[in-house]
Amino acid sequence: MRGSEDVPTIDGAKVRKVVVACDAGMGSSVLVASQLAAALARYSVSVRHASVTEIPADADVVLCQEALVVRTSRVVPDKPVLGFRLFLGDPLFARLEQAIRNGVPLAG
Amino acid sequence: MLADNGVLTADTVRLGLAARDKADAIDQCGAVLVGVGAVDQPYVAAMHQREHTVSTFVGQGTAIPHGSAVARQHVRRTAVAVLQFPGGVDWGGDPVSICVAIAADGDEHGHLLSTLATMLLDERRITELRHARDAATVMRLFLPKAAPGPNVRPDTRRSVSRSRVPPWTGSRSVGTAG
Repeated sequence: MRGSEDVPTIDGAKVRKVVVACDAGMGSSVLVASQLAAALARYSVSVRHASVTEIPADADVVLCQEALVVRTSRVVPDKPVLGFRLFLGDPLFARLEQAIRNGVPLAG
Repeated sequence: MLADNGVLTADTVRLGLAARDKADAIDQCGAVLVGVGAVDQPYVAAMHQREHTVSTFVGQGTAIPHGSAVARQHVRRTAVAVLQFPGGVDWGGDPVSICVAIAADGDEHGHLLSTLATMLLDERRITELRHARDAATVMRLFLPKAAPGPNVRPDTRRSVSRSRVPPWTGSRSVGTAG
């Protein structure tokens, strides 16, 4: 269990690569990644999808379904891991874009 | 009809189905993938398991059943199946009428899911998918830029210079339920 002071954080303005992770990396993550890629392209942020066990080392922020956050955080303890509940229109997606645009810290 | 390098084919589009419940719908999705030789039978059990872990409901009456990471070993080739249940299936509280079933051992299906992502935000196209009565309509919705005929190159979707007006922007009416 991490203490709150150990939660990985990144300045939204420094995010260059977002990875959407799911168990198999063949369905849910692909769908979310393609939506986010369109929204974040204007900020020169790339979006990739991956299975939880194959998250690229250069990912700045990792997104996954809420149920997978704990597992994903164990795999990439040094990266902010943010959970979403809805595939469409989850508030996290807007928050992520806003943080990237305005340079707000992202922690998770 | 074969298009899109065989990932989504008319063979894997099944319309006007009925399912007793979610498990039955997933069984039917799995049976299509097994039937076209995309997966071996154990993959179907993994689809149920994956669904139990986290629902694959993605909104707009749509679910994307697929297996888990360990079930990749049962995937023979990447394939996508579209199953339509006009009467709806109770998907853990949400009604589902479209299942986009996935078996993937690579990224060849990525553009189909990208198209689905845009369809989910486009009431007109998702309604047309729900009410589609032939496989050609479904293929056109998922592969909007593919030219008709057998000589479709898989990368034509990336072509900007050759982009055409999408067929659904015409004056045809869609979603004429009832």
